[in-house]
Amino acid sequence: MADSKPRSFTRRTFIGWWIASLLTATVVTALGPILIFLWPAPAKGQKKTAIPVNLAKAMADLSPGDAVKFDAPTSPNSAFVMANGGGDNAPGDLAFGGFAVKDQKGATHVFAINCSHLGCPIGLNAKDKTFDCPCHGSRFHLDGTVLHGPAPAPLSDLSWKPGDNPNTIVVDGIVLGF
Amino acid sequence: MAIPHPRDIQMAVVDWLDARYPFTKAVDEALYQRVPNFANAFYYCFGGMVFILIAVQLLTGILLALYYVPDAGGNPAPAYTSVNFIQNSVYLGWLIRGTHFWGANLLIIMVILHMARVYWTGSYRAPRELNWMVGVIMLLLILAFSLTGYLLPWDTKAYFATEVTIKLAGSLPPVQLGTFIKEILQGGAVVGPPTLQRFFTIHVFLLPALIVLLMYVHFRFIRAHGISEPM
Repeated sequence: MADSKPRSFTRRTFIGWWIASLLTATVVTALGPILIFLWPAPAKGQKKTAIPVNLAKAMADLSPGDAVKFDAPTSPNSAFVMANGGGDNAPGDLAFGGFAVKDQKGATHVFAINCSHLGCPIGLNAKDKTFDCPCHGSRFHLDGTVLHGPAPAPLSDLSWKPGDNPNTIVVDGIVLGF
Repeated sequence: MAIPHPRDIQMAVVDWLDARYPFTKAVDEALYQRVPNFANAFYYCFGGMVFILIAVQLLTGILLALYYVPDAGGNPAPAYTSVNFIQNSVYLGWLIRGTHFWGANLLIIMVILHMARVYWTGSYRAPRELNWMVGVIMLLLILAFSLTGYLLPWDTKAYFATEVTIKLAGSLPPVQLGTFIKEILQGGAVVGPPTLQRFFTIHVFLLPALIVLLMYVHFRFIRAHGISEPM
């Protein structure tokens, strides 16, 4: 070519892009339903609900520094839904157990059982009044804050309210449906 | 910067590939075959439509396998409830399963039409007899697909239809042979969970592998012989 002007946006370029767009639209139309099909549907009977939990010791009877462990019911198969998360935990993540706690200052908490480092179930250290993680040695105060790493964030709370009798609490959760 | 034509992008990709392996040459050899004028009649398309339908069946079948549970134990059996789940709960599950179902029905029709066309135009004549034989085997494979697939929803219709077909196969004399065939198909004394396991395995592992292999053979024969001239 004699002149060295850069190519402008020609009619051919326009038609080329037009056809390329049509082809892309065709492919997307064909693949779209497949992607929708692949998106997991909730299991039949799966629903978010408040789960009543029986505690080994009534919340009101806990003395400061006490904690009781509880598990998610297995029939129907259920889990608790974390309220705030932090670290490996996130709001909406599922927990299959928790602790009802009265900390040394007398405040009550209900925590999801998962450590904020990598999700291992923490255990109560009754002697030191801490929650200790068996996996990598993270430790938490009874109010959920970190005492010792590698946990990067406090324990996740579970949303709860008192149940019908003193020994029960009602915790936000989900019936899994399988 | 000048806006490139999509073809420029395409050429950049193709050139990169071609510098490493002669893809263009291989694709050209596969695609650029002259179609004789007599083969432009619509009834020469039936074979290609069978191919497309089989491709659709393979795709939708793989998708269904993501949710289907081949387990006939218990009541209701997971096989039944999983099909129910696909149909009513999985997003667009009714569409994918419906495509698989109607694709299977259409496939039989198109296979018969394709076979009728080959017969009508005399395309089975020498030297193409082997391809006819391969085609007949594939027809039987398609029918086996239909038979085994029919049981998988594990509903009453599926169960008793299979009961009937197995009874037919088992009526072959002498009695000992019939009973042997029946028990091999059923995987036991009655149509039950082992039957579903067998039919499922045949439907999703054995038959797809065989049909893909035979389709390849079928097409290589076509390429070797060319499309048969009209009589």
